[in-house]
Amino acid sequence: MTAAAIDIRSATKTYASGTEAVHAFGPSSLTIAPGEFISLLGPSGCGKSTLMLMIAGLLDCTSGEIELGGHVVKEPQTSIGIMFQDNTLVPWRTVRGNIELQIELRGLPSADYRATVDRLISTVKLDDFADRYPYELSGGMQQRAAFCQTLVHRPDVLLLDEPLGKLDAMTRESIRRDLQSLWLEDRPTVVFVTHSIEEAIQLSTRVCVISPRPGRIEKVIDIDLPWPRDLAAKRSEKFSAYAAEIEEIFHGYGVL
Amino acid sequence: MAMASSEKAAPAGASWLSAVLRALGRSWAFILFFVGFFLFWEYAIDIFSIPAYILPRPSEIVTRGWADIDRLLYYTYVTAVESLLGYLVAIAIAVPLGLAIAFSSFLRRTIYPFFVSLEMTPKIAFAPLFISWLGFGLLPKVIIVFLVCFFPVVLNAILAFGSLNEELTRFIRATGASPWRAFFKVRLPAALPQCFVGFKYAAINATVGATIAEFIGSDQGLGFYIQIVTGNMRPDLAFAGIFLLTLLGLALFGAVTLVERWVIPWHISQRRTH
Ligand SMILES: Nc1ncnc2c1ncn2[C@@H]1O[C@H](COP(=O)(O)OP(=O)(O)OP(=O)(O)O)[C@@H](O)[C@H]1O
Ligand SMILES: [Mg+2]
Repeated sequence: MTAAAIDIRSATKTYASGTEAVHAFGPSSLTIAPGEFISLLGPSGCGKSTLMLMIAGLLDCTSGEIELGGHVVKEPQTSIGIMFQDNTLVPWRTVRGNIELQIELRGLPSADYRATVDRLISTVKLDDFADRYPYELSGGMQQRAAFCQTLVHRPDVLLLDEPLGKLDAMTRESIRRDLQSLWLEDRPTVVFVTHSIEEAIQLSTRVCVISPRPGRIEKVIDIDLPWPRDLAAKRSEKFSAYAAEIEEIFHGYGVL
Repeated sequence: MAMASSEKAAPAGASWLSAVLRALGRSWAFILFFVGFFLFWEYAIDIFSIPAYILPRPSEIVTRGWADIDRLLYYTYVTAVESLLGYLVAIAIAVPLGLAIAFSSFLRRTIYPFFVSLEMTPKIAFAPLFISWLGFGLLPKVIIVFLVCFFPVVLNAILAFGSLNEELTRFIRATGASPWRAFFKVRLPAALPQCFVGFKYAAINATVGATIAEFIGSDQGLGFYIQIVTGNMRPDLAFAGIFLLTLLGLALFGAVTLVERWVIPWHISQRRTH
């Protein structure tokens, strides 16, 4: 038995304290094996981003603990790739420059990553915009650039907070497919936040359904569908059954 | 080869001309207003029969001012030196200090509130004191200009370096970047636009500070000149001095704007599109 990639043990988060206190998440536990693709699915404000930040070591757990790669998370984890809900593109760098910022901040030699940067840019179809500045890009294009920024140092754990949130349906479908093939190829461990039930089922090995605030992982659903999951897979009966099952849970919360 | 270069020169010249024409086209309303304002001034003097020792005509301001141009230009130079020195020293001290305050919670609890309350003091009120302490020379003027420039720069620098957005702060932490690397690659460029807000504000204050300092005690400079000629009932020359002060202020502000455009072109272009 291999060690867990991420082990969440009764983690909770309460922001502020006293009468101001906001109980945002937990307590919840979840063990994620290496190479899994886990989706966090839940209503707005249920603590998905909070959990993500706790895994990354950017926010302390109020109680409980989280283990990453066999070590308890106590400080920012630099070995992972995290894509924040608001993109982290800086206005003074081009798309390429912003992707390279990840490399430069880590003190890695930019020259070694040239090819990776180029490949990522063309994966998300930003070739013509590689030398443009963020303000010249649409919201969706910025999100694609930020996606490349997250992947460029080839982390084997990825935390993605609504990476496809601002994309139109068509681009979203195509990036999903790219994300899936990337995952099938390299098998990183992925924690993926989304509001789309369909997206969660299509991409994940398991879907975690989180209750409204204070969020708890109420149900973990194994998605047993063959890879790769293309449009045909999405039309299958089994796919619809999973979707119905999840919708039912949200219906129970009164959020759907 | 010669052909090619002359071919290139012709459209370049034409585009230069058309750029000027376009600029004129954009600002014709302003130019019209400007010209109209001075024409009105010129003829209102006759219409309302205002005596020249109260308010001179613009044409008189130009001709009489021109007659005294040597003195005016030298005094412009004097005031410019005072303004520029005080301004540059203020920036050189205020930016590092603002940076230190933004990053040190101790300084934020001690010096910062002190500065905020001093910001409420009209700095110019110190001018007579500095003149009485240090005399009529360059130094008290530079100190007064320094005072009126220092606070806008330091307060904006504190704001600039202290307000990196939360997501970028997290991004930096997640990369494990060293403080230096994070500073030069992210914090500093992110802070520059807000710093320039302070620089521009201070540029406006600089000539005001120099002029008032000269009013209070000096034997040269445009502020001195304006006070003397007004005492001699020569408002025409006073206006000539005011005109040169305006040009000086515009030049300083324009220079800062040019530097801004050169240092943070990404910010300017961003502002233009939205
Ligand atoms: N810094 C903070 N201080 C206080 N409360 C906070 C803070 N950040 C988040 N919260 C609260 O914690 C709760 C969970 O926030 P979080 O951002 O994790 O939600 P989310 O599931 O990511 O929502 P969304 O889908 O809208 O992004 C919210 O109710 C929010 O009000
Ligand atoms: Mg969120």
